[in-house]
Amino acid sequence: MSIATTPRHRGPAIIPQLIGNPLLWLLVLILALGLMTSPVFLSGNNIANVLRNAAVVGLLATGFSVVLLTGRIDLSIASVMVFSVIAGVLLTTEAGRYLGYRWIVRGNTFAGPEALAIGLCLASGALLGLLNGLGSVGLKITSFIFTLITMTALRGVSYLITNGAPVYYSEGLMRWLGEAVFFGLPVGFILFLAMAVLLHLTLSGTVFGRRLMAIGGNEKAARYSGINTGLIVIAAFVISGFCAALAGVLFTARLMSVEPALAQGYELIAITIAVIGGISLAGGTGSIPNVLLSAVTFSAGLNLLAIWGIATWYQNLAIGIALIATVILTRVLNKAKPS
Amino acid sequence: MSDIQKTHNPAVFVRGGSRLARAFGSGGGDLSRLFVLIALLVSGALLFPGFASPGNAMVILTSVAGVGILALGMTMVIITGEIDLSVAGIAVLSTVIGGVLLPGGSPAMVIGAVLLTGLVLGLINGILVAALRLSSLIVTLATMGIASALANIISRGQASYPNAMPEFLWFGRGAIAGLPVPVALFLLAAAVALVLTGSASFGRRLYATGGNARAAELSGVQTWKVRLTVFALSGLAAALVGLIESARLGYINPAGFVGLELKVLAVAVLGGAALSGGVGSVRGAVLATLIIGCINNLLNQAGVSFYMQQVVTGLVILAVVAPGFSKRIDVR
Repeated sequence: MSIATTPRHRGPAIIPQLIGNPLLWLLVLILALGLMTSPVFLSGNNIANVLRNAAVVGLLATGFSVVLLTGRIDLSIASVMVFSVIAGVLLTTEAGRYLGYRWIVRGNTFAGPEALAIGLCLASGALLGLLNGLGSVGLKITSFIFTLITMTALRGVSYLITNGAPVYYSEGLMRWLGEAVFFGLPVGFILFLAMAVLLHLTLSGTVFGRRLMAIGGNEKAARYSGINTGLIVIAAFVISGFCAALAGVLFTARLMSVEPALAQGYELIAITIAVIGGISLAGGTGSIPNVLLSAVTFSAGLNLLAIWGIATWYQNLAIGIALIATVILTRVLNKAKPS
Repeated sequence: MSDIQKTHNPAVFVRGGSRLARAFGSGGGDLSRLFVLIALLVSGALLFPGFASPGNAMVILTSVAGVGILALGMTMVIITGEIDLSVAGIAVLSTVIGGVLLPGGSPAMVIGAVLLTGLVLGLINGILVAALRLSSLIVTLATMGIASALANIISRGQASYPNAMPEFLWFGRGAIAGLPVPVALFLLAAAVALVLTGSASFGRRLYATGGNARAAELSGVQTWKVRLTVFALSGLAAALVGLIESARLGYINPAGFVGLELKVLAVAVLGGAALSGGVGSVRGAVLATLIIGCINNLLNQAGVSFYMQQVVTGLVILAVVAPGFSKRIDVR
């Protein structure tokens, strides 16, 4: 079903699609509430903040959604997000030591070549995704279990290689990634937007994308019709790992440091955003633009709650209730719709 | 019905081969788990003089009793093809409610409230999953978040201390005929789980629900009742473990038990429960609990850091789980 209907999502149908999208109305409601109750909510600075947050959790959720679309799950994203940045920075430092440079200075501050560090970070994210893919496809271990193992192990390794201490990284390119704004949009959000558009076009417009959706729809049928399902599933995990690493870079850019204890539980936020964005855990159905909208709505909602001065506990309560409400609503709407 | 009976034994999923290969082959196999456990015990006894003492055995058992009780509940949930991520949240919320009642409440009231809260939360999970047919992963993820948020709201983030109530502390520190209460409760839970999964009425329905829910329903099994029951049991187990661990620590912490659900899940999987449903055993879960206990104890004695232990534990699970799953097709 999803394969046949995907192309129709593009083109002139996009306007009615948007109007019929409950997520959009939720976002409009949040914006309206924000406008009425707070003078700062719709200020440029606050919107930039909302979008910066949306970029980090959105990138995580987007990569995660690609894996969900194949009917698998990647629980390791939050660990990968932190570990890949640590790995990028420490590998660069190690290379510097080998070349005779000292790139960790003044109390654990990184001051080495940034392109190398960030490049290594993204590469390690992709490599860890490859590891997850090979583990769940090659060893045929359920992805839930395999990524649970990598999630725990990577968290442990992050502590081991840093001794739990933070690495500070706030210069040059990293600062720019965290702070620069173009036309009201923070750089991080532009990167997220670009990634989402790229993945959406790949999923809806290429043979690879159709095959990926087909695997999530009916894996056996996909395999019997000659699709190399293993390869595509591995690719999905690589995409997820890469997105997690990019999210890690943006996260580090915002905090100007990275430490192994960060981002615990972010995999749950990613699941929440993906589910609210309409990605089915069974695979095969869902669209990336909706995940993007979901990430922005999620961040805007949390931001508004914070502006209202509501304690984090109530925010977590709201997230949980929103998640349950979404699945119940989806169930009710699906029942009401004649199939 | 013969198919349903067969699923009691995970070994049937491996085609052909000798009996030995079969025992080793599927989901790790109870025999291979037993060998791993024996190898750990022997190497522990050789490496550390104090390892093979009755005192250390009690230390190991007491430290894993909580995770073991939860793993038994989780195994039953997984056998029905569902998952319960909310155990840590339930443990926190139920003990926090007990903590709120501590100042004026009688022991029966406090302990009753803790267990009742766990049961009710488990039932809520069960109703959402069984009656509304929602994905258990999402439902229990949400109830986990809601429960721990409520725990923090109710307690205002403050810990409470059950030190003035010996009946509460008994769950963690007491002993029955020389056996620490956590260990006794673990044994009791294992016995109950063994009876339930082995019984002709409930056990068969349990495996049938996870093996092939549609076939089970068509042959008259009310699968929603089975699902509701396992989630209620898992919730009750979570409250009991919350009680045990808070009593051991003498401390009810609204921010406690972080990541417990994943530890429990790892033990259940190590015990041979397959997330696709229909497979898993109490025997496997108990063996897996003991394996994890021995590994942690050995690594502690060797002075290995907690973070290295995370890595080692992951690798052990991989080593036990990988050969078994390779025989099966990874549909999910």
